[in-house]
Amino acid sequence: MKLRLHTTPEVPLEAEVISPDALQGLSESEAALLPIYHGNRKVGLGEFFEISGRVDESEGVVEVEGDLSRVKLIGHSMSAGRLVIHGSVGAHLGASMKGGEIHVSGDAADWVGREMSGGRIVIQGNAGHMVGSAVRGSSAGVQGGEIIIHGNALNEVGNGMRRGLIAVGGNTHDFTGVNMLAGTIVVLGRLGMRPGAGMVRGSIVAMERTECLPTFTYNSTIQPDFIRFYLFHLRKLGMSIKDEFINGQYERWSGDSLELNKGEILMYAG
Amino acid sequence: MSVLRIINGKVHDPVNNIDGRIKDIFVRDGKIVESVPEDSPTIDASGMVVLPGGVDIHCHIAGHKVNMARKFQPEDHRKDAQLRVGELRSGTGGVVPSTFTTGYRYATLGYTTAMEAAVPPMSARHTLEEFHDTPVIDKGFYVLLANNIFLNQLLEKGRMEEFREAVAWWLNASKAYAIKLVNPGGDEPWKGRKNSNVDQLDQKISGFDLTPRKIIKALIDVSNDLGLPHPAHIHCNNLGHSGNYATTLDTMRTAEGRRVHITHIQFHSYGGKLGEKPTSKAAEIAEYINHHPNITADVGQVMFGNATIMTGDAPLTWLLRNMTHKKWINADTECESGCGILPFAYQGHVYTHALQWAVGLELFLLSKDPWRMVLSTDHPNGGSFENYPRLIRLLMDREFRNEEARKVNQKAIANTKLLDIDREMTMQEIAIITRAGPARILGLTDKGQLGVGADADITIYDENENREEMFNAARYVVKSGNIFIDNHEFREDRHGRIYHVAPDYDPAVEDTLRPFFEDYYTIQFDNYAVDDSYLGDHETVKPYPARFEEAKVSMT
Amino acid sequence: MSNNTSVVKNAVCTFCGCVCDDMELTVDLDEKRITKAKNACVLGRAWFYEHKIENYPVALIDGKEASLEEAVDEAARILVNAKFPAIYGLSDTTCEAQKEAVAIADYINGNIDTTTSVCHGPTGMAFQGVGESTASLGEIKNRADFVMYWGGNPAEAHPRHFQRYAVSPKGLHIPNGKEDRTIVMVDVRTTQSASVADIFLKVKPGRDFELLWALRALVKGAALDSSVEETTGIPLDTMKDLVERMKSCQFGVIFFGMGLTMTRGRHFNAGALLALATDLNDYTHFVALPTRGHGNVTGADNVVSWQTGYPFGISFNRGYPRFNPGEFTTADVLARGEIDALCVIASDPGSNFSKKAIEHLRAIPVITLDPKPTVTSQLARVAFTTATYGINVRGTVYRMDNVPLTTRPAFESPFPSDQDVLSAIKERVCELRGLKHASNRMTRQTAKVAV
Repeated sequence: MKLRLHTTPEVPLEAEVISPDALQGLSESEAALLPIYHGNRKVGLGEFFEISGRVDESEGVVEVEGDLSRVKLIGHSMSAGRLVIHGSVGAHLGASMKGGEIHVSGDAADWVGREMSGGRIVIQGNAGHMVGSAVRGSSAGVQGGEIIIHGNALNEVGNGMRRGLIAVGGNTHDFTGVNMLAGTIVVLGRLGMRPGAGMVRGSIVAMERTECLPTFTYNSTIQPDFIRFYLFHLRKLGMSIKDEFINGQYERWSGDSLELNKGEILMYAG
Repeated sequence: MSVLRIINGKVHDPVNNIDGRIKDIFVRDGKIVESVPEDSPTIDASGMVVLPGGVDIHCHIAGHKVNMARKFQPEDHRKDAQLRVGELRSGTGGVVPSTFTTGYRYATLGYTTAMEAAVPPMSARHTLEEFHDTPVIDKGFYVLLANNIFLNQLLEKGRMEEFREAVAWWLNASKAYAIKLVNPGGDEPWKGRKNSNVDQLDQKISGFDLTPRKIIKALIDVSNDLGLPHPAHIHCNNLGHSGNYATTLDTMRTAEGRRVHITHIQFHSYGGKLGEKPTSKAAEIAEYINHHPNITADVGQVMFGNATIMTGDAPLTWLLRNMTHKKWINADTECESGCGILPFAYQGHVYTHALQWAVGLELFLLSKDPWRMVLSTDHPNGGSFENYPRLIRLLMDREFRNEEARKVNQKAIANTKLLDIDREMTMQEIAIITRAGPARILGLTDKGQLGVGADADITIYDENENREEMFNAARYVVKSGNIFIDNHEFREDRHGRIYHVAPDYDPAVEDTLRPFFEDYYTIQFDNYAVDDSYLGDHETVKPYPARFEEAKVSMT
Repeated sequence: MSNNTSVVKNAVCTFCGCVCDDMELTVDLDEKRITKAKNACVLGRAWFYEHKIENYPVALIDGKEASLEEAVDEAARILVNAKFPAIYGLSDTTCEAQKEAVAIADYINGNIDTTTSVCHGPTGMAFQGVGESTASLGEIKNRADFVMYWGGNPAEAHPRHFQRYAVSPKGLHIPNGKEDRTIVMVDVRTTQSASVADIFLKVKPGRDFELLWALRALVKGAALDSSVEETTGIPLDTMKDLVERMKSCQFGVIFFGMGLTMTRGRHFNAGALLALATDLNDYTHFVALPTRGHGNVTGADNVVSWQTGYPFGISFNRGYPRFNPGEFTTADVLARGEIDALCVIASDPGSNFSKKAIEHLRAIPVITLDPKPTVTSQLARVAFTTATYGINVRGTVYRMDNVPLTTRPAFESPFPSDQDVLSAIKERVCELRGLKHASNRMTRQTAKVAV
């Protein structure tokens, strides 16, 4: 099935129905009636999107195009299939996602894959704040799955992450992996300030040096197998990984000593 | 004003000895009357059960600590939205619902009265503001006085006359309904350097020549002497600690035969050694209460699932916080009170939680007089009030109860008598523990019954063998004679009424209070008392000495 | 000055979050102004003396004088027609008015947000993450022998805070006042407040989080690398000494201001501070309090919380409240150009929001309620002149420590109160939307959703 934004929304749209789960088995006219919110007005999907074709049974592919930067909640709770987005998307892409794959050719706004538990999200461009994070008040964020950002990401990547993988091709802003419970975050560029603050377990891997908090201590310089494993995996997913990263040494800093001190920040050391 | 007939319903009205008889009920101007014209609006309650509106004697629904707990847990609210319909306001649910949602959901369960159980006097104005936004239900609150520094200074010096006058002044100033004691004497050590607590009734309270027992005795006496409709409402010392049943018995003995209400007694009925796993002493507690008609209690049942601990017993929450390592709130109120809050979850596989669950059920089922052991979950401490229908089913349906007991920690269940108890509560007994009993204990004689002259707070349920389903959604709810829920649909919004007391006091006591306020409070004495504008529709319940004794009815 | 005067004792000053309630106001009833404000601080005196009843129109529509009814109708229409309306401000009005504002947001399926989102919003978010140990101000007066201020300048922002609550007053366990207390000040620069401090720590700008984190580590007994001195600008020995004092006091308190919450790290800074205070309860009784700015911003937090479950940054667009700071907060929805109408009560975003936000403010219909013309009211489609809360309007306000007080107005204003105007708009909104006497279909129908 293909969706094309035919009318620019005056105010943000909330369209969690744009997901293979919700669209599966529907005709074009049935899909056009699925409810979305244009601000506080409940309207049919067809009021903003031109819909063509059906979601095929086997692959479950939905393609969306147009400037979707004001369309929120795309792929919410998605459990299977493939959502291919040509362009940029608004907030909460793939929030609470359980399975399947989302691919975005442009940028994504805040809250990509928050509370995700499975599946994969790939953003070719940049992402906003709170990639793969917990909601306010909650201590647990991503429970599983993979988020791949080819560009940069802003604050609080992986806040409260419990399991899974988040990879950022560029740089992240502050508090990457804050309050992480477990899981892995790989940043091919530089971490912002205060990575891993309050982390309990888990690994944050970065290719450029950053200052660590006073509650992190340097242990040793090592060549962990798991980094090679993850980097090969990311390379297979299309990220450009330099060979020296795969074969390199990493400074290991453990923390946060205010918590269990079982987390680690690994920084490429050549 | 409005008239209404409710015909052909099976009525349970224990106060008037009506036990499941088909009987018509007539309503005029908010009260039950002898008759109304035949052409009046009529609800045909054929096949339905008609009960007085439910009365919750102990819950936490409004005020500073409740509001802190509310804004504390956005992650809980977001799973449970209450939609706006027409003019009825939206809100959020979860363990600590928003105010409008609280009112609507109580009504949905057939409850029309609920008492907020712990308010420091300085938070009275806030509590009344929230009451204003808590629709449908009638309500009142209990004011915390057992850790009040000024009162304790009077007690220490044996100035009992002034003590009594000052208590009466505080009831007036706060617009409270009853006197609440929480962990008497425990605030002072908690606010001190060691964050400690008291654990014995005869232990000296730091900074005072005073013991918890003296405070307990004095407030029991003053409640009785002032003729308050509801006696001193006590949250005993040592809540939650293994072996605390001894303290509970000791507290009840301190009443020396005078009226007293022991609240969420389930949390105070544990054997075992301090610091070790608790055992059940429900039988001992029930036995004592069975033989002492001056004692009433509510259970404070624990229900599995999410809860929020919120209590004036701050040291307890610190203890729990150090076990759970979850987010925690402490909030001290100058000269008056402490407070602790933390999110909590009771889990069936955990020994202590399963034991607590079973102890509560034992207390219900081992008590001989349902009028004196009434239903509560200490909402939201033992679980949300939305668990009441399930709790009713546990009490009425032995098979269901035993099935549930088999799903949880078996070591805990084996340490109780739960599986040996065959008793199933009858509909009449449920009507007592959820309506007639709490109303009587509160001294609200127009509530919890359907006799002529009573408040027309009436709930009508479809008869259903599954009592949880039955009590989960009343088909009709009539509040003060107006239909609020009409065949499962909300009608227009209603404000409830506020109940409070205003015992006489000698104004000269203000001369004693004023200098203390000037020295140790940060608000002006003249700005402290809450004025009537905060009450709205209200009723001042008059002192009524020995009301309880007069009204006592034996169910055995 | 006429002879027709009256005196209002125990009046409540609603200028700042201290909400001092010991004012003695002398009022010239003919001239309708306050001629004397005994006990008021320099800010309070200005607040009281400058308040005069001016000859403004009660309402303007597109800058032209209009009747109250016309303006109410126009405001209601704007809000009802909008697809993404927002209501904002509320920190300088009564709780009674705040209740009406939340009701309107509910009835128009709009956003509700308060100035909290641009001052201590991060504190609210931190509170939701880590909790807090707190106390009413009288506990500080009666018990605190260790008092610390972090990232605030009370001497200028809350002039009576030292004297009434935290530094000089004598209390139950503090018989000698300041002598019995250790006063510590932490800031990036030496402010006027620093002069009362026994210890002043000049932390490097933007390094509050690192310092707080280091102090937490020391409280827990962890060793720290000396590089932390370079990072924070504070010698390790000074930190250790401070931590010893904190652990060994009888009752400690940390007050914190926007120097902490609005600098890099924001809610994590506030969270680190709240966590530090909580950690210290392993050793002694310890609390922390944000020093809130506006007279009833704390009331706004409370009212919005009890009505919706959330403190600020809320959308009702789906017919029930959803909370997300950053997504629904006013400064953000304006800067992203998302909302299509805004109602501002007792606040002036037009003068203090970002350039982008103000640009959008100019592009959409705006409604204002304010006692005086503001930058925002000048560009408003509908501007109401309302009576000043506290001075002219009776109502409930909450002090920074959540203690509620009832104001004692000095004299009557010819203008309606915010509550009057908002209540009228609410009624009109309900009429326009046909919510009155709508058949209400639902009992247990709740949305068990979390989008």
